[in-house]
Order: sequence, then C-alpha cells, then structure tokens
Amino acid sequence: MNTTVKITINGETYEEHIPNRMLLVDFIREVAMQTGTHVGCTYEGVCGACTIQLDGEAIKSCLMLAVQADGHQVTTVEGLAKDGELTSLQKAFNEHHALQCGYCTPGILMNMDEFIKKNPNPTEEEIRHGLVGNLCRCTGYAHIVAAVKDAAGKSA
Amino acid sequence: MSIKNDGAWIGKKLARKEDHRLTTGKGRFLADLSIPGMLHLTFLRSERAHARIKSIDTSAADAFPGIVAIYKGEDIKDNILPMPQPVVQPNLPARFPKHWPLAVGKVKFHGEPVAAIVSRDKYVGADAAEAIIVEYEDLPYVGNPEKALEAGATKVHDDWNDNLIFEMGFTGGETPESQAINDAEVDEIMKTADIVIKNRFRVQRCGMTPMETRGVLADWDDADGLVAHITTQRPHIDRLGLSDILCIPAEQVRVISPRDQGGGFGVKAPFYREPILICWLAKELGRPIRWIETRQEHLMAVSQERDQINDLEVAATKDGKLLAIRNRGIADCGDGCSGVYWGFVMPFLGAVELPNGYTWEKGDVKVKVAVTNKSCLSPARAFGEFPTRFAMERSVDMVAKRCDMEPAELRRKNLIPELPYSSVCGEYMDSGDFLKVWDNLMEQADLPSFRKKQEEAREEGRYIGIGFGVGVELSGVSSELMVPMENQPGYGAATIRLDARGKAFVYEGDAPQGQGHETTAAQAVAHAFGIHPNEVVVTTGDTSTTPFGSGTIGARMGSYFVSAAVEAAEVLKKKLARFLAHDMELEGAAEDDFEFKDGEIIYMKDPNIRQSFRDACNRNIMSPINLPEGESAGLEHTAFFEAAKPMIAFNADVCTVEVNPDNGQFKLLSWTSSEDVGQIINPQIVEGQMHGAIVQGISNTIFEEFIYDENGQQLTADFENYKLATAADVPNMKITHAPTPCPHTPLGSRGIGEGRPSDVPGCITNAVCDALSPFDIQITELPLRPNKIWRLIQEAKSKQAAA
Repeated sequence: MNTTVKITINGETYEEHIPNRMLLVDFIREVAMQTGTHVGCTYEGVCGACTIQLDGEAIKSCLMLAVQADGHQVTTVEGLAKDGELTSLQKAFNEHHALQCGYCTPGILMNMDEFIKKNPNPTEEEIRHGLVGNLCRCTGYAHIVAAVKDAAGKSA
Repeated sequence: MSIKNDGAWIGKKLARKEDHRLTTGKGRFLADLSIPGMLHLTFLRSERAHARIKSIDTSAADAFPGIVAIYKGEDIKDNILPMPQPVVQPNLPARFPKHWPLAVGKVKFHGEPVAAIVSRDKYVGADAAEAIIVEYEDLPYVGNPEKALEAGATKVHDDWNDNLIFEMGFTGGETPESQAINDAEVDEIMKTADIVIKNRFRVQRCGMTPMETRGVLADWDDADGLVAHITTQRPHIDRLGLSDILCIPAEQVRVISPRDQGGGFGVKAPFYREPILICWLAKELGRPIRWIETRQEHLMAVSQERDQINDLEVAATKDGKLLAIRNRGIADCGDGCSGVYWGFVMPFLGAVELPNGYTWEKGDVKVKVAVTNKSCLSPARAFGEFPTRFAMERSVDMVAKRCDMEPAELRRKNLIPELPYSSVCGEYMDSGDFLKVWDNLMEQADLPSFRKKQEEAREEGRYIGIGFGVGVELSGVSSELMVPMENQPGYGAATIRLDARGKAFVYEGDAPQGQGHETTAAQAVAHAFGIHPNEVVVTTGDTSTTPFGSGTIGARMGSYFVSAAVEAAEVLKKKLARFLAHDMELEGAAEDDFEFKDGEIIYMKDPNIRQSFRDACNRNIMSPINLPEGESAGLEHTAFFEAAKPMIAFNADVCTVEVNPDNGQFKLLSWTSSEDVGQIINPQIVEGQMHGAIVQGISNTIFEEFIYDENGQQLTADFENYKLATAADVPNMKITHAPTPCPHTPLGSRGIGEGRPSDVPGCITNAVCDALSPFDIQITELPLRPNKIWRLIQEAKSKQAAA
C-alpha cells in the first residue's frame, strides 16, 4: 500500500508517493538522495549512524516509517552548515580529529548538535552518556568527547 | 599550533584533509554509489549449521513482481570455478576447502549463502528471500575444535579425511631432527626450572566489526569488462582473484575500493565469496548489481576472530628470569572458506608473535587449527596475537607472583635489552629501545604511590588494582613474511605525478578505511617537495590508476607506503635539480646541492640561485626544449620500497581498575600508554589510532562474544546481543611517546595501529587480578565478565574459609 507524503528535508519539501513500509532512513537516502545519513545496524536503533533531527529533536531514522514523518521537518547532516559555514561542532570534529572513517560521524553530529543546545556546559561524563546511542568503532571516543566539549564552550 | 608553509610537515598536527566531506554528508561510501538500471542482490542464508540441502523451492519467490532472477548453488557450480585459486592461497602447509559462493550439496555454518535473489527493489528482494523454501537434512554439528580433531569426528568437508586445516611447529629449526632436539631441551628446562606455571588460556570468538558493513557494486560491459566497487582493503588482490576465478582477462577487470570506507580493521581484507558471485551475475545478466550487507549478515558471516585455546607453560628462575615457553595452540577456524586467510593465517601469526618482547632461551610452540561448523575466522586488528598475548601477559604476572616480585619489575628484567633480536619463534625485531619505552611508562605509572593508595583502599574495603602489558607490533609486513603467509608481496608502491602548476598527485594501490592516508601521505610528500599538503592530492584504491599494492593491512602505511612515496619524491627532486643546474649553467652542481623549501628550489652553494617549484615543474612539462643531455620531459615516478628485514613498533600499557567484590563488577579508572612509533608524521592521527585500538581491545576483552548454541545456531547477530563498547564504557587514555626512529625507513617512521590492541586483554585482566590479590585469583579466560569474577571470588572465599 502506498501513501503520498510531504516531508521537508533541510528546508526542501518532497511530496512523494511511497510504500507505507518504507523506513524514514530509506526515504532520506533513496528518495531524497541525501546519503550523508547512514545505516550501521539491523534497523534496531543501536548504532545511531542514522540519527537525524525531526522538528529539531535527534531521533533514529531507522526506527520510524517515512509516513510517520509526513508534515514534519527533517534535518540531516547535509543541513547543518549554513551558506558553506560549518557549525562549531563540525569544525571542532576536524580540529580534534574526532573522526576516522567518518561513517558514524553524521549521526553523532546530529545527536550532539541537539545535545549541546540543551546542555551548553556539559561535563565529560554527561557527554559520554549523551553518546551512548552512537557507536563509533575507530576513535575510542576520546577525541569525540574533546570536540563536543570544545564546541559546547564555543556555542554557549 | 599555527601552520606556516615552511615546508616542514613531518611531525605536525595537521587537521585532516578527509574531514570536510565526512562532516558535511558528502562522504561517498559504497552504499552511496548507484548506477542507472541497478539491481539489488539479497542473500538467503542458511538457517542450519550443518545440513544437506534436499531441495530449494523458489516458485513462490519467483512470482514476486520485480524479481529478476534467483540463483542457487546448483545453478552456478558449473559456471564459476571453485575456490581455492592460487592467487589467494598462502604458501603454508595447509589444506584449502573447495567451495563456491553459494552452498553446493550441504551447508556448513549458520549464515552460509544458499540462494541469491536479484530484484529491482530491495524490499521485494527481502520478501522473496522469506518465500524460498529450503528443505534440509540435519547433520551432526561440529562445534568444538578439540573434539573436531578426534578420530572419527563428523567431517565438515566431505572430501577431507579429518578436520585439520593447518598444523605447524614454530621452533627448533627446519628439520624434524633439530626440532626433536629442541623440544627435548625445552622439556629438560620444564623439568628442572625453579618455577613452571602451566595454564589453559581461552579467548572467545570476537572481532573488530566496522560500522560500515561490506558491499559490492558490479557493472559489466562486453567491451570494457568488469568494473567492481568493493569494500576492500586490497583491491589489487581482488582484481587478480576475480580475473582468475571468473576467467575474465585481467585487462577487463577493474576494482575500485571507494574513497570512503567505513572501517575495516582486517575484516575487509579477505577475498570473500560474495563479491565473486555478484561480479559473475553482473556479467551474466548484463546489468549493474549492488549488494549491501545487512548488519545481521555481517555478524553471521564475518568479523569473527580470536577463538583460540593456548596451553602455555612458562619456566623461570626463582629470581624472575624467564627461561622457556612451551605452547600448544588450538584454534577454531570455522569452515575455512575465505580467500587469502582461510581462517588459519591468524592463529599462525599469533603463534609467531607469542614470545612478545621478552628474551627466552628456548621455546617449543606448536599450533593446530580445526575446521568447524561456524563462520570462517576473518582477520581483526591484533591479528591472531590477541589470544596468544593474553596468555603471555597473564603468565608473566603469574610468574611474578610466584617469585614474589612486582610484575613491572619482572617485565623490565626480561625485556629484550638490545635490538635487533630474533625470537625463538623466528620473529625478527629490527630496531627500537624496549627499556626506554618501559621506563617512560613507569615514570607515568608511579607504582610506589599506587601501592600505597591500594593499601589504604583495602583498609576501607575497596579493591583497586594495577595491570601492565607490553606489545611488539609488526610495522608493515615484509615480503619475507608476506610471500609465505599470504602469497603476496610486502613492498610499498607509490606513484607521484607532478603537474605543470607544481602540484603533486600521489597514487596508492592500498585502500584505507579511515586511517587518514590522504593527510599523512600529503604531509610526507609536501615535506619532501617543500610545498603545502593542500597542494598534494592522494588517490587510493583504484586498480586502473594506482600501482600494485597488497593492501591496507599490517600497519603498512607509516612503514611501507610513506617510505615509497618519499623515495619517489626524492627521484623527482633529483630530476628537477638536474634541470635547474642545466638551465642555470651551474658547473659541478650535484643533485644534492639543492634544497626544496617554501615552494622554491634553492641552490645551497649560492642561495641567490633559486626557482619556484611551480616554475620548475612547468619548465619540465610544458617547455621540453633545450633539455639536459640524455634527459626527457615528464615528472612521474613509481617507487617500490622494501626494507631488507621485517620491522616492528613497540608499546607498553598500564591501567588501573576498581573491582566490587560483592558482584564482580569493575571499572577502568585510568589508562596510560608508552609508545615507540619512531618518527611521527601526524601526532593527532597517531593518537587517534592508539585510542581506537585500545578501546577495541577493551571492548573485545569485556563485552564482545559471538555465541553459538549447542546446535550451531549463532545467537549474536545484532548489536543488541553483540555488544560494542560505548563512550560511557571506556576511560580517557593518556598516550605518551618514547620514540626511537626506525633506521630502515627514509623518515625513521614506523607503521602503527594494526597490532596495537594485543596487550590490552592481559593488561586489564592483570589489573583485575591485582585488585583481587588478597583472594589469589588467576583469570585465564575471556571475556572478562562480572559473573565470572564474582564466582572466582566466592570460590576463593570458600577455599580460604576451609583452610
């Protein structure tokens, strides 16, 4: 069964006729062709690579159907930088070498972007607990924690 | 640190060139690639561990709209050559099981591909897989490697006479006579030494599991042939393997590993069965086909390593001098069906590296590897040596306890004092200063004050402990080892092409998966030419543009590839110098009289004579007139670097833990390392490699375990059940350096990262045992779980109460 949905991704509206069973992450990657959002687990919401923001709130796009996002605003990693200017979080990830392969990075950026808005002055422990929904296999997390702390200070 | 274009880039903390695209969603991973008309491939995998396939009924699945084709083993076995093929077959005394990409006749592990569905839509492909009915006749499950080797055991491979895939001795020379003499000498030491400790060490099946799974996008054209994008660490080997097995002339096979790969850690290094099938199907159907492995498939089929039993005996004097080792290793290889490694090359290397950085008078080391009804072992960082090093680092602590010595003191006493050194297992260690690395660690550790704190804590009923470990790591793999071990060369090959604007293009045949090669190589090449790293463009992993390389494996970057790139740059610098000497009519100027700095080439005997690097390149490429005698235009060179002997890197770790004796739970309180990685090219990248490796080691030690039930059902094929360490599970780490430049590489650099997790399990477990030393607990099995620790505490308490 198909349904017509209207989903806004990074300010651009997609009105599409899609199967009801289509996951939001597949809509983002395969219909809107925004491939910065990744899939790392078996759609069970553990790895966090597919994290996006729905109406400003970080969520895992593999745990939602696209039809559930009808009428909502989605922001993906492609929508973070404005007019080519990276956010302080994106810059901090580069400065602190907070990524290696970069596969988990978009999900972490989308989660931490929301996190530092809500916690402008986080402790290391708060950051580490804020990151438990995102698995990273390369970095051992240390540089990610440093980058988030630095960016939080700069955004505050 | 501010970065000036001063031409000195070696050792600089330079933010990575890769990061902009990866932090803005512009990375191009395999799943991001598509070709018009592309079809999706879905595997139906075996639900059984060991069973004959009676029938496969695809009639319901065939009827789904959008299904293009469904293939079974019977459909392909007469059209695709079976594995093994010589190009992916090591020169080691082993057997290589015959197999095809899809099961033929019977299935040999839970997760083996049984059928392949080609569909226009991936959702429909998954529907069709569920509609295929396979009738199986179960066979006895072979799941225990020791029982698998007993006479009369059920055979995993019907055409073999037993389940032994590989057996080797590593000590005592080449002949049976010399080995027998050696073994008798070891036996004599074991009988007469003051102290002999003997333990059975087990390390569970676990691995490295990158965040990006595997994938293939294959396209065929009758004139151009095959273009295959594959998540792979070794595109050039895949190319040769695909050409041979699919009987496609090599000029018609191009393999591209995507510029962005989401981690590998060894998992993407084998020549797997899935790409063989997908490439064949692209040709057969004349349509582009993509397969993106699901996480469930990934955890069922690959990423499984370790799984060794090591019965290790260590002899020592009562004052703590280590004398001899005797080890009998048994590895559970799974079905052994995976090209290049066949599941046994990891335990092979693990045995080679067992002696670690200690001096031994004698050793008797032997390994047996059994095939079972499990997924074939695939490589993982700390390749094969994670289990043997756990055994060694635990044993060293146990010897120290018997000698009533600090484990740290015993380690220092037995570290190899001077290099080069060849171990009893034949590992050649070229250079470095182990004692310097160790002493640096001990300055960080401040052991006396920790012991005081430990005593105070115990008075409060708290149990804190300290643990140590050391690790010798291969710095690249020389041809001397690579040719027998993997039937591949060890050299690093780099092509550099300078263009008319003075920009450098570097081509690497290996295929990184997050290690930052674009930045590291750019720094090394920019340093050589005196230009900015932004003026250096690095291309990796495309077999049609890059020189042959055996792959991004075994810490080959900082050792072999960078060295080749520097040597290629030196050749081009000499040519530019000869041209400048000619043009300026510098009588008697030698190639080495010119300095490349700040974007200029400067004649050192008269620094007023100089030319911009850009002009020099432009003159050579665009104005090829009035050439020096015997010269031709063009600035391109490929260099092949090979060290005369194998090279190593070395590290030592210390960690502290607190254990709760009431429930066995423990927390890592601190982690400090001391490293010899030689000349560092980019300190931030080196630090990131160390952090990642240590945390992978922690995660393997504490959390990760692939579990097969009594029928061979794999119960851990998702991240809910196969737990990886999260940010909240691990400590911060302090990485310190005590470097000795490698004398065998042009920059003094060493390759780092591959073997780095190896001493982590011993280090953590030693700390837990140290914390619980009042109970005299010795842990010999991983994973290190609170319930096991709690049980050992209870046993120790009852024993103490009884005494």
